[in-house]
Amino acid sequence: MQYALLIYEDERNYQDEAVYKSILDQHNAFSEELGDRIRGGAELKPVATATTVRQSAPGAARTVHDGPFAETREQLGGFYLIEAADLDEALAWARKLPMAGAGCIEVRPVGAS
Amino acid sequence: MSPTLEQAVRDAGGRVRAALAARFRDLDLAEEAFAEACVAALPAWAEAGPPRDPAAWLYKAALRRALDLKRRAKVRAGYRPDPRAPEPTPEEALLVADDPIPDERLRLIFVCCHPAVGTEARAALTLRLVCGLSTAEIAAAFLISEPALAQRIVRAKRKIADAGVPFETPGPDAWPERMDAVLSTLEVAYAKAYEDAAGAGAHADFYEEVLRLSGLLARLAPGDGEALSFAAMVRFTEARRPARLDDDGAMIPLDQQDPAQWRHDLIDEGERLLKRAAACARRPGPRALQAAIHCAHCVRRRGKPTPWPAIVGLYDALLEHRPDAVVRLNRAVALAETAGVEAGLAEVEALAGERTAGWLPWHAARAHLLARLDRAVEAAAAFDAALALNPAPAERLYLERRRAQAAPAAAASPSAA
Repeated sequence: MQYALLIYEDERNYQDEAVYKSILDQHNAFSEELGDRIRGGAELKPVATATTVRQSAPGAARTVHDGPFAETREQLGGFYLIEAADLDEALAWARKLPMAGAGCIEVRPVGAS
Repeated sequence: MSPTLEQAVRDAGGRVRAALAARFRDLDLAEEAFAEACVAALPAWAEAGPPRDPAAWLYKAALRRALDLKRRAKVRAGYRPDPRAPEPTPEEALLVADDPIPDERLRLIFVCCHPAVGTEARAALTLRLVCGLSTAEIAAAFLISEPALAQRIVRAKRKIADAGVPFETPGPDAWPERMDAVLSTLEVAYAKAYEDAAGAGAHADFYEEVLRLSGLLARLAPGDGEALSFAAMVRFTEARRPARLDDDGAMIPLDQQDPAQWRHDLIDEGERLLKRAAACARRPGPRALQAAIHCAHCVRRRGKPTPWPAIVGLYDALLEHRPDAVVRLNRAVALAETAGVEAGLAEVEALAGERTAGWLPWHAARAHLLARLDRAVEAAAAFDAALALNPAPAERLYLERRRAQAAPAAAASPSAA
């Protein structure tokens, strides 16, 4: 199965260049360990660069808004798309994923519902 | 249902469903195939008489049904069915062989109690699939409507299938966390059963099932101290059930129960389990400490007084694992026996806050301690506060009586009527 590991953290944790650099190194090591289980992934630019297209009701005209879709302390900062045998394996990788501080990793199977 | 079939369904249901679920990795298929096997058993057994081994009969019939259902699903999905082989397929050979039913119940328990599933849904799934309780029985105990519970079960099953929860017993590194999820699921189920002091009504099946399941878990995971301890704890508390109500149906608190009415067979079993648990772990876990507290109360059956100082010490150790208000309140009540009623009351008062306003055990504990200090007016008010929170009938009777003893002059409040 394929799982998306969605990384939610407070992006201010990365304002310190040294912290950013150190976590980046850890991501490189993590990716190497994942090997060919990686099917995709990316780091996202800060949430201030985000633009949201929102539909308030079925069929309603879509409106464009600045900023993220919801006010939260943690923002989606990046994601991995990995191949794993089952949820437990995906969770094991999520546990190893480098993080700079408090935050969470949402693990979601990929595919049509 | 005939008595033989009913008994066989009860005894074999969990094992058969677990074996099918482990083999096909599909909870719905396991349930459906077993249900159909039970339906088929009714006329077959009526005609030819019950089989020599009803469980094996049901397993084979359910396995055959499951294979049929799979084949049909394949056809529906547009695939061509496997060509009929002249030789029996391995599955059919398996049906002929007189194999015992593999015991996959632990695996099924781990699937149903995966942390990816909500705690209440885990309990409902486990009770339904492993114990075979009906949706109606579970809904009654969880105090929610049957459709709402059925929804919860459907959603949980879908999550298990869609998120890819593995049908494997977790590896050793994941064991402590996963066993904790299993045990907290059983604790949710047991809390429902324990509320019912008389052991009647919708909850009655529950404590028997938790007793059975916790014993099963202790057998299947003999090296897990917490699993053994939980089984021990359930045995200690269940041993007291015959002594928990007086002739009027009022609750009798633990320290006033007649030990002669306790079930000594269950206490003996609990003591054996706890001894084995102590040998498993270097440091006792929270459930071992809880079981030890219950075990300490049981020494009264040997004519010894309750060892309150030891109990306070056990609560102190438990607080390191679970620093919550419930443990603190219980510790305060025990402390009243070692350090004096005033000291106990001070600890109870220290817990006062927003959350204690609607918390019945806190008002009840405070009322009892105030009554012992002859602070009649305050005690009466505290009993009234407890009674206003809708205690179960047995506890209501007891609290009303204690209120009358503590404050004979104070008129009964309208809420206590």
